[in-house]
Amino acid sequence: MFIGISAYNHESAVSLVDKEGNLIDYCKEESLSRIKGDRSFPRRSIDRILKNNNIQAINIERIIFYEKPLSAYLIPLKIASMYIPQSNSFIIHQLRNFNKASISCFIDLAKYFPGNEQKLSYIDHHLAHTLTALTYSNIQKNICSIVVDGFGDRSTASISYIKDMHNIKEIWSSEYPHSLGLFYSAITDFLGFNINEGEYKVMGLSAYGNKDSRYAKIIGKLINWDDCSNKIKLDLEYFSFYKSIIDSYSKNLIYLLGEPRNPFKPLLPKDDDFQKYADIARGAQDITIKILIKIFEHAYKITNSNIFLFSGGVALNSASLDSLAKLDFVEEIIVPPSPGDSGAAIGTGMYGYLQSTNNKTNITTPSLYPSKYSASEQSDQIEKLLSNKFRLITMNKEESLLITSKLIQKGEIIGTIISNSETGPRALGNRSLICNGLNKESVERLNTVIKNRSPFRPTAPAMKLGIAKKYYCLEDALITSYYSMTATCMCKENSISRDFPVTHVDGSARIQIVKEGSILDQLLDLMSPKGIEILANSSINLSGDPTCFDLIDGIMVCSLSPLEYLLTDLGLYQKIIK
Amino acid sequence: MQKNNILNVLHETLLAEHGSALEMLAACKKSKKATHVFGYFEHAKDEYIHTKAFRELLSKRTRLLSSSIARKYRFNSLGLIKKGYVARQGFLIETMKVKDFIAYVYTNELLAKESFNKILMLIESFPEDCQVITDIMNDELRHHGLAKEHFLRYYPSLQPWQLRLYKFRETINNKTRKLYHKNLKFLEKIFLPLYSIFSVVISILFNYLNLHQFNRLDSNLMDISPKSML
Repeated sequence: MFIGISAYNHESAVSLVDKEGNLIDYCKEESLSRIKGDRSFPRRSIDRILKNNNIQAINIERIIFYEKPLSAYLIPLKIASMYIPQSNSFIIHQLRNFNKASISCFIDLAKYFPGNEQKLSYIDHHLAHTLTALTYSNIQKNICSIVVDGFGDRSTASISYIKDMHNIKEIWSSEYPHSLGLFYSAITDFLGFNINEGEYKVMGLSAYGNKDSRYAKIIGKLINWDDCSNKIKLDLEYFSFYKSIIDSYSKNLIYLLGEPRNPFKPLLPKDDDFQKYADIARGAQDITIKILIKIFEHAYKITNSNIFLFSGGVALNSASLDSLAKLDFVEEIIVPPSPGDSGAAIGTGMYGYLQSTNNKTNITTPSLYPSKYSASEQSDQIEKLLSNKFRLITMNKEESLLITSKLIQKGEIIGTIISNSETGPRALGNRSLICNGLNKESVERLNTVIKNRSPFRPTAPAMKLGIAKKYYCLEDALITSYYSMTATCMCKENSISRDFPVTHVDGSARIQIVKEGSILDQLLDLMSPKGIEILANSSINLSGDPTCFDLIDGIMVCSLSPLEYLLTDLGLYQKIIK
Repeated sequence: MQKNNILNVLHETLLAEHGSALEMLAACKKSKKATHVFGYFEHAKDEYIHTKAFRELLSKRTRLLSSSIARKYRFNSLGLIKKGYVARQGFLIETMKVKDFIAYVYTNELLAKESFNKILMLIESFPEDCQVITDIMNDELRHHGLAKEHFLRYYPSLQPWQLRLYKFRETINNKTRKLYHKNLKFLEKIFLPLYSIFSVVISILFNYLNLHQFNRLDSNLMDISPKSML
């Protein structure tokens, strides 16, 4: 057995891979600690997957960490040292927090799982991303891997050619601090959203922006692709992330764009400054797409491959994929369900398997729901909680689904905590809030009353493949991505889908094509004859909290929000309103 | 100055309340006994409600400020660990015996009530907000009472003086923590010039670090030594 760890920078996660190359279990630390974006050493997750799978730590062959910690530590320091004295506080911070950086993985492992620290190995960070994407690809030879993120352990973007699983050659890279990911994060910060959390809000906001506006044009000049050197060039004058621990953008950006948004001020389409911030978001989104296109073109030029693995934090930018798929040389783009750092734990675990012998070549594509959980593990524990707060409608699975479908038809919103949890940040039905995707009132209630989200953010629709083809312009190159909700697409011209409440203001939607046999598929089977072919699907959580993991989390969401129904492994429950 | 003080207090209390909610949720999930699960759940729920109340109080005051000031008070869950509201070693229930955990709750809910009294004084000119704080104080007292009840039921041999001792110990701990942080800030000021000199020296040394050594162009990434940290 092999354990892959990602930690200390973004959400920590752990994967467990067996000797046959199967992903056995996967767990994000934030799911257990309930601290959104928890980046601490994933002690609870390791503990859980060992217990879940009845494995003694001694039986773990190898533990692999998802980056080369010394590179990840030294490179930002080296860059900061070039900007002394402005970077003084950055350098002091880095030096004083040496023990909190990823270098301490060895020490933490020795502390919490003594004896296992000797099994620790390190993998190149972008290789971890590449292997994660490769795990989800049907073709595992002679393809190209593109990784674009904030900062790995050496570079901020890279292109590799995968001859086979044991021969992955890096052929292009972009060096820190010239980073597309950190540029997008700095703009996220400028727009008043938290870095590593609010990037998808910027993506949603950009749909309201005008691409020809003054602000969009200014933003478009802050980062570009240099055709001579084939490198990303960031205008460092406007950013501070490489020399400051507090500020991601510099005063020059404020002179250029004016006052950054106050994070506490609601951002509503009717407000005066809404358009300005939407235009800034639009500029950031457009230039991101433009640079990604350049990277893809360069990748094609140097690898001649037309199948691309795309991963790293920037691959979470689902709105860019549609444009990439339209490039005439692109045959297929494979984006893993969790392309960011937490998902990289999967590729990290796979590395252990691949390194165990040189002739192993078969990796089984993991399920979209790899985090093992069953409500039965908590059924005795939560007996009183359930009986006090809920009325059991039915325990029978078929009946639960039938009643759920009827409730959805009536306009109700249902929360689901069913079996294993999803890999990535998108809820695909097992940890979801669902309602009739064509009922405007229900979708609005889900979005604003239950989730307390800003009204400019869209809710995603889930449907069967046939229905998706009927209403949306699907790209063949992205078909696998639609199953994990990692890509958006446009509504068909003059289609009624443009008026669906799950369609964004620009006519796009982050659709989910439901997997056959999944819970959403079964519900759609029951509802299609009644004319409900599209469900609205959003993750079940309270604003600012991680997606629910277990039934107690689900009960908490019900208790703190107007959500009334919970579909679980134990049956369908209705909240008792006192 | 006073305004900044209010904002600081509200921001810190918001983090503290969120930390308490997570502590109680962790206790809820760790308990095997259904009645305890229920009790901890209700407590966690109250703390979540308090978190929301403090978020609104803070939001009301920062909405009209300049963004450069307001962004300092932005809520980020990671601040819980960074600022020590959730210990790096884990939740209290993961590191303490249940008895000590209940004692901790018992004493801290009482101490929290005292802290809320101070917040009340800071915002006394806003009667609506005072009512919110008063409601939270009542909740804290109720939690204190429930923890006491738990003690009497499950640890009947425990004498009242022992509970007082717990409270005394926790008061001392709190004061020591505050003193430690004050001293830390003081030491920071003293050591800052030293740190700065050190940082300049390090920068000079880093000039000799050649970034090309990290270059992996044209190399097979699968062949890089897995034991190397570079």
